[in-house]
Amino acid sequence: MIKLPDLTLSNWKENLTKKNFTALEAVQAYFEEIKNKDKNIGAYLSLHENEALKAAEETDLKIAKGEDIHPLAGAPLAIKDNLLVKDLPATASSKILEDYVASYDATVIKKLRAAGSVFLGKTNLDEFAMGSSTENSAFKLTRNPHDTKKVPGGTSGGSAAAIAANMALGALGTDTGGSIRQPASFCGVVGLKPTYGAVSRFGAIATASSLDQIGPLTKSVEDAALLFNTIRGQDGYDSTSTDPGYDENNLLNPKLENVKKLRVGLPKEYFEDKLDEDVTKAIEKAIEKIKSLGIKFKEVSLPHTKYALASYYIINFAEISSNLARLDGIRYSRRKDALKKAKNLEDFYREERGQGFGSESKRRIILGTYVLSSGYYDAYYAKAQKVRTLLKNDFTNAFKEVDVILTPTSPSTAFDIGSKTSDPLEMYLSDIFTVTANLAGVPAISIPAKSDTKMPVGVQLIGKHFREADILGLGHYYEQLEKKS
Amino acid sequence: MASSITKKELEHLAKLARLNLSEREEKKLLEDLREILAYFEKLGELDTSEVAPMNGGTELQNIFREDEERKDTLRGQGRDNFPETKDGSLSVPEVFKRHD
Repeated sequence: MIKLPDLTLSNWKENLTKKNFTALEAVQAYFEEIKNKDKNIGAYLSLHENEALKAAEETDLKIAKGEDIHPLAGAPLAIKDNLLVKDLPATASSKILEDYVASYDATVIKKLRAAGSVFLGKTNLDEFAMGSSTENSAFKLTRNPHDTKKVPGGTSGGSAAAIAANMALGALGTDTGGSIRQPASFCGVVGLKPTYGAVSRFGAIATASSLDQIGPLTKSVEDAALLFNTIRGQDGYDSTSTDPGYDENNLLNPKLENVKKLRVGLPKEYFEDKLDEDVTKAIEKAIEKIKSLGIKFKEVSLPHTKYALASYYIINFAEISSNLARLDGIRYSRRKDALKKAKNLEDFYREERGQGFGSESKRRIILGTYVLSSGYYDAYYAKAQKVRTLLKNDFTNAFKEVDVILTPTSPSTAFDIGSKTSDPLEMYLSDIFTVTANLAGVPAISIPAKSDTKMPVGVQLIGKHFREADILGLGHYYEQLEKKS
Repeated sequence: MASSITKKELEHLAKLARLNLSEREEKKLLEDLREILAYFEKLGELDTSEVAPMNGGTELQNIFREDEERKDTLRGQGRDNFPETKDGSLSVPEVFKRHD
């Protein structure tokens, strides 16, 4: 009997090579768990059992032959449905992509496939990764495994819920303004948004290209490091991807003596805002725990924080309206009949796009078109890009004084399903602590903090560009302290 | 900044964005847009006359590679997803009106 809660990506290889179980048995156990639980959670949009079992057997065969295997060989992963896996659907939770089947692997998938990883299925998200609760999916509702009346967060809500409910050992998500970290926080798992450019975006269905990054959602910080280290790297198919020369050993095996030297900053602007009492308490305790390692804390200032959401959403809307223009109802659709009936192309586009996009997508496309249109461009889009420079400079200045910045991941714990759907602005405001890392391009991780209530709280660690090793290292030792207590 | 967006402006935007909107959608969108655009007005408080815009997520400089033939392009695979093809090309309804 395989105990799924005990498995991690980090102990996975040892379990296989010590013959505690085979990859096939473990993958079968995950499908069993999914069949039992996912009716109530709704993490997956599609399952791919045959392909997964076949991939698992390949790893078992390698082990039987005595070949060395990658640490993630045979590891059962969940993939957000805006990432392309060849020959599998990739809907981005949108009706306009309902029939789309990916014709190639995203670079991150290619890397994981080379490692021998197994893809259990594709997970639910807010349509085209727009939202904060996964309620904007055109296909289904995902529920928080800690309380099924509450949202899992978004947009990678399916991936976060799958990890929290032991329906996958690791998962990939995408993070445009917090879409990995906020659901990780709400579901009590670890979520890493890498530095912009650290991971190739090729094969990720673009939301806002200057903000998007692919990253891991996992059960531990160590697992996140392992998955990140496997998917990162420069890629000829994404000209913004780069390899600054990461030290693998620093990423995977952080040393306590180095972590103790890190200086941690608390940005005062992030603690002035209205915070849930549960969040405040959990974060204060987390700070005390980290201080017990002998780490020095310091108050820092990110003075333009109150302008972050406005800048973020203008840029997000503008890039979305441009990226979603390719979805014309023809190129990624198989609706032959509709195409034949159409009188002219413009009417066809308007009808298909009007029917195919959900209300949040339409809202953002219209707003993006507005902020980019002549007469408003300077007042909105150009202004937002300048404010983005100021926000980035805030981080550059703060990082002269400290190595890592600590904040709550979200001002609240998971909210009730349906409580924010009618008020888009209210939903946008819940992203206050996560959007800045995307605007500045810096890495950030959400790690479960010990909370007094049933609903999890996440602590966010933000690092310098390409210094994932700092936040993973500090995160790992903090996580060890939480486990002991 | 003009945040009192009108119904006529919304209809124009919907045309530019190639979206059909129902009456009900238009009504809700107008309310949402006014509220969201009003929120954006706070950026006006900042003097950014001396600030350069940040155009992307990276500060990498553009470089050019040698213009050489590559065998590993994915050209053609997108065609597998075309709903209707004619001689290997995408077939669509008429784009221009015929004037006979």
